[in-house]
Amino acid sequence: MPAIIEMQNLTVRLGNRTILDRLTGALSGHCIGLLGPNGSGKSTLINTLLGFYQPVAGGARIFGKEVQSNLRELRAMIGYMPESDAFIADMSGVRFVRYMAELSGLPRSEAMERAHEAFFYVGLGEARYRKLGTYSLGMKQLAKLAQAIAHGPRLVLLDEPTNGLDPEARVRMLQLVREIRDTGEVTVLISSHLLRDIEECCDQVLILKEGRIAALCNLEEERKANLKFLELEVTQGNGFLESVRGLGCECAAFGAGRVRIILPDDIDLRQIYRTAAAHDVQIRRMNYRRDTLEDIFLKAMAGSQQASAVPQGSANGRL
Amino acid sequence: MAVYKRTYKAYQGPLTPAWSRFTVLSRYGLSTLFDSRPFTAYTVLCFIPFLIGLAYIYFVHSTTAQLVLNARMGNGPGTVNNDWFLGFIGIEAAMGFILVAWGGPGMITKDFANHSVQLYLSRPISRTEYLFGKISVLATLLSCTTWVPALLLFFIKAGLQGHGWLWDNLWMAGSIVLSCLIWIAVMSLISMAVAVWVKWRIAATALMLGIFFLLPAMAAVLNAILRTQWGNLFNFTHMITLIWMRLFRERVAELPTAFNAVPLWAAWAWLFAVCGACFWLLDRKLRAREVERS
Repeated sequence: MPAIIEMQNLTVRLGNRTILDRLTGALSGHCIGLLGPNGSGKSTLINTLLGFYQPVAGGARIFGKEVQSNLRELRAMIGYMPESDAFIADMSGVRFVRYMAELSGLPRSEAMERAHEAFFYVGLGEARYRKLGTYSLGMKQLAKLAQAIAHGPRLVLLDEPTNGLDPEARVRMLQLVREIRDTGEVTVLISSHLLRDIEECCDQVLILKEGRIAALCNLEEERKANLKFLELEVTQGNGFLESVRGLGCECAAFGAGRVRIILPDDIDLRQIYRTAAAHDVQIRRMNYRRDTLEDIFLKAMAGSQQASAVPQGSANGRL
Repeated sequence: MAVYKRTYKAYQGPLTPAWSRFTVLSRYGLSTLFDSRPFTAYTVLCFIPFLIGLAYIYFVHSTTAQLVLNARMGNGPGTVNNDWFLGFIGIEAAMGFILVAWGGPGMITKDFANHSVQLYLSRPISRTEYLFGKISVLATLLSCTTWVPALLLFFIKAGLQGHGWLWDNLWMAGSIVLSCLIWIAVMSLISMAVAVWVKWRIAATALMLGIFFLLPAMAAVLNAILRTQWGNLFNFTHMITLIWMRLFRERVAELPTAFNAVPLWAAWAWLFAVCGACFWLLDRKLRAREVERS
C-alpha cells in the first residue's frame, strides 16, 4: 500500500523547545493511530500536517505532495476534527456543516446536500436544525465529525475524537470511524491517548515520546506474528519444560503452572500436546497470547528506541 | 445522493474557484448580521440621508418645487458642490460608524469565543482570505451606505445640471469613492483589530467608542498642554477629515487652524501607520488562534 503520510527528518520547534525531533517514517494504513503521553507532540504533528506549523528542518508529504508548498490543494483533501470545542454556537448544525463544506469548495446546493447526509450519517439527523450551542458534548463531537467528512476528504484527521464521551457515545464514535475506514475511500488518522480506541480502529500505530518516534508498527502484522506465542496453564509435570525446550522452543515457567512458549516455524502444536501427554501433564488452558497495544506502548515508553532504529513489528517475540 | 443512504461517500463533484472562497465568509457574515432585526432596521435608517439628499437635489433643480415652497435657491450655502458632498459623506460616515461598532467586532469575537478559527483555516483558505472575507462584510455594508449613494447623487446632480457639469466636476466622483474607501478601510481594520485584541464583543464595541470619542479629548488635552496641534494625531476623526478636506479640494486658507497645523503628509503617514498596526495585530492574533487546545 502506498504511503499516505511520509515524514523525512521532520523537526518542529516552538520558541526554544523542539516539539517534533527528526521524525522519519511512512504511514500507510487505512486507519493510523497516533499515540503518546501528553506533550509528546501528537497535536503538533497534526497541526504540522495541516500546515499551521512550519518545520525548521525536514518536511512531510501527504499523498506524495509536500505539505508546505501544496497547502491549499492538500487542505481541500483533508477533513479535520480538532480536539477543542470548535463550532459556531448560534448556528444550526446543518448550516454550520454546510458553511464548512462551502469553504472547502463545494457549491452551495451540493454543500447543503452533503451537510444533510453527513448529519444523518453521524446519527444527528433529527437534531440538525437545532443550534449547536444547545448540543450535548457527545453531539458536539459528532457534529465536529460531520463537518470533517462533509466535503468528502481523502484524509481525515481526528484529534482525540472520544474525549469526554460517555461509553455509549464512545462506541458510536468508534463505530463511525471504523465504517469510514472500511469504505476504503478515506484514510483516518486518530490522535488519542486512549489505547483501546486505537486498538479497536487502527491497523497502524505511531507512538511518539518527547517528540520522537518511539514505535511505528503495523498492528495487523503484530497480531499475525504473535500466533506462535503460546500461553499455557498446566498441571505440574516433571520434565515437561525440558522436553519442550528439546523440541527447539523457547519457554519460561511462572507460578501456578503458567508457561509461556514461543513456537518455532517448524514445530506443530500437536507436538506440544504429545509432549504433554508423554509427561502426563494436563493442559488446562491454552491461549495464543498476542501483544496488546498496551504492551507495545509500555515497551515503547520504557525503551529508548530512536527514530533511526525503529523496527517494524518491534514488539514481537518477548516472553 | 438521497439523505436516507447513510453511508460515507467521497465527493467527486465540481468545486468552486479557489479565489471565490472568501465570498462564502462574506455571504454568511452578512446573513448573520441581518438575522438581527434591530441591525436590519438601523441599516435601512442609514439610507435616509440619501433620500433627503435626493429630494434636496431635485428641489434645487425644480423651479416648480421652489415656487410651491416659495424658496429660491441660488449659489449660496445650499449649492450642491464639493462642500455639500463632503457634508453628505460626513453624515453617512457618522451613521456608518454605528454600523461598524455594532456589527464589526462580533464577526471575529464569535469565531474566537467558539474556537472556530482553526476550522476555517484548516480548509483551503488562508489567513489573509479569512480577514478579507470578514472585512468585505463591512466593506459591502458601508459601501452601500456611503460612496454608492453619494455617487448616485453625484450622477443625478450631473444629469439635472447638464451643461458640462459632470466633466467639470468629475474629479469629485474620484474624491467621493477614495474618501469613502479610506474611511471604510480604516474603520474595518480598527474594528477587527480591536475585536481580536479584546476578544469580547461588548468590550470591543466599547473600545471602538473610546477610540473615536475619548482619544479626541486626550488629543485636545495634549494640544492645550504642549501648545501644539500634533496631539490631533490621536484624533482619528480629525485625521480622516483632514485627508477628506484635501481630497475635496477645500481651500487651505479657509480651513480652521487645526486642519492647517498638521501637514497632509503626516495625515497620510498616520493612515498607513494605523492600517499597518491593525494588520500586524490581526496577523499575530490570528496566527495564535490557528491552533487551539482544549
